Amino acid sequence: MSRRFTAYLYSSAATAASVNLEQLAQYITGWLPELTIELRDGLIEFYFSKLNPDERSQAIRQLAWGFARARVRNITQPKQPFEPLPGEVDYEARRLANPASRAWGILYEGFELMHILRGLIPEAERSWYHIHIVFINQLFGTWEDSDRRYHARVSLYGLPSILSTGGIVEAPAKPREYYLLKQQYLALGMDDAPALLEARFQDRCIGHDDPRLTEVMKGYLMQALAYHFWGDPFCSDKSCRLYNAHWQEEVIAAQLKEGPDFCPAHAQRFKEGLRRLPSA
Amino acid sequence: MPIFSPVGEKEVTRAIVGGFMRQFEEYTESDVIIVGGGPSGLMAGRDLAAKKVKVLIIERNNYIGGGFWIGGYLMNKVTFRAPAQETLKELGIPFEKAVEGLYVADGPHACSKLIAAACDAGVKFANMTIVDDVVLREDNRVAGAVINWTPIHALPREITCVDPVAIESKLVIDATGHDACVVKKLEERGLIKTVGFGAMWVERSEDLVVEHTGEAYPGLIVSGMAVSTLYGLPRMGPTFGAMLLSGRRAAEVALKLLKRVPVA
Repeated sequence: MSRRFTAYLYSSAATAASVNLEQLAQYITGWLPELTIELRDGLIEFYFSKLNPDERSQAIRQLAWGFARARVRNITQPKQPFEPLPGEVDYEARRLANPASRAWGILYEGFELMHILRGLIPEAERSWYHIHIVFINQLFGTWEDSDRRYHARVSLYGLPSILSTGGIVEAPAKPREYYLLKQQYLALGMDDAPALLEARFQDRCIGHDDPRLTEVMKGYLMQALAYHFWGDPFCSDKSCRLYNAHWQEEVIAAQLKEGPDFCPAHAQRFKEGLRRLPSA
Repeated sequence: MPIFSPVGEKEVTRAIVGGFMRQFEEYTESDVIIVGGGPSGLMAGRDLAAKKVKVLIIERNNYIGGGFWIGGYLMNKVTFRAPAQETLKELGIPFEKAVEGLYVADGPHACSKLIAAACDAGVKFANMTIVDDVVLREDNRVAGAVINWTPIHALPREITCVDPVAIESKLVIDATGHDACVVKKLEERGLIKTVGFGAMWVERSEDLVVEHTGEAYPGLIVSGMAVSTLYGLPRMGPTFGAMLLSGRRAAEVALKLLKRVPVA
């Protein structure tokens, strides 16, 4: 069996506590044994590891400016280019200098984020035979023309595919009761409302550092691979791991249920594997 | 036999005027002017003054403390998330554990202790004072504040030709809460652009305020909720822990900057 394709899974110190790359690699191998898998540190750290200290300092400033500029400042307006504030650049530089630091609450433009990360992938690995899947902690979104606003996303597929451990918590909508209770708690001035609600809804929602995150991310990884090989990451069957869930309860139903992982059609496609794809 | 000394009205007036004028004259020039006497401004002032930095806090109200006297729904209990309880301990503010990671204290006790800590450290106050503008030096560096009495702004426009005065400092800290008054003065001059409030609420965004606290413009540090306004960070509820820690961060940044600020 020729191992033509290589998938690179990236996870930094900021996402290491949330996702277990070894388990994810084993899962992929179970379905696509012909795919070579390489586990790497976070993509940014991987890129920095090839630079000398001066180059690294310079890269931090350049990337910090790029990340600051990739922020979505107004979720109800299509993003326009802007000059980031020095404080925003400094914040990003501090975050880049400390790979374990995690970003909460800032929404980044997904395609700009992808563009920045793409620039960090070695030239020799930018081809169809190299699949790059990056776990990040940052929250990102994409503009939706139908309702004229940005929507937070769990994943964005391309070169590289990006999976957000923050996005899986914030992007799929929580049950309606969650938001009603949250309004009431906040009106009462309970600034611990998010923590209380997280505990109350833990069976119906995925939380930050949730021990189920690795299991959940298996499906998103397979979506990234399905997109890469066959051009369509999603399935309309709500019980298939490729289902494009918009609600937390749908995420749980698709990713944490008992029974088959995929619908019959996608299970068959993964079983056939990569044999019918063109050779290198 | 009378209880109190026989002091006349003129002596009382002289004491007030003399004391005020001596302090006012001395603080026409300080190391750091903090605009806003809420929790983040008080915390920054206390930490700076404890390091022998000459600090003046400007407050537009007659009372100091901002919104720190009460918590949500006008209830006078204020909550803090860990690790802010360490700061409460340091300030001698009694508190109780509400749930894991959350602590609650009496608003009046917490606020008065913080004010006292700032006073004890050596902070001076100019209350009932409003910032009309900023003083700019070479390269548009912020180097002070143009101030006036707060009631002037309540007078009819026809009789408000009461000129302000300017006081100087090496640094200014904007701790004016959501209004971000000092930042807005720079924005009026086209020197900075605030992002405004973020439209969305995202859990755990409290850290962002602390992490974005810092020098926003040469000579100007932004602290507390003014940080949210400047950077468009997500809205938050009453998060006093973040205000205290943001104030601490502002003081750290100021100390670092003071070492490289040319002496006036």
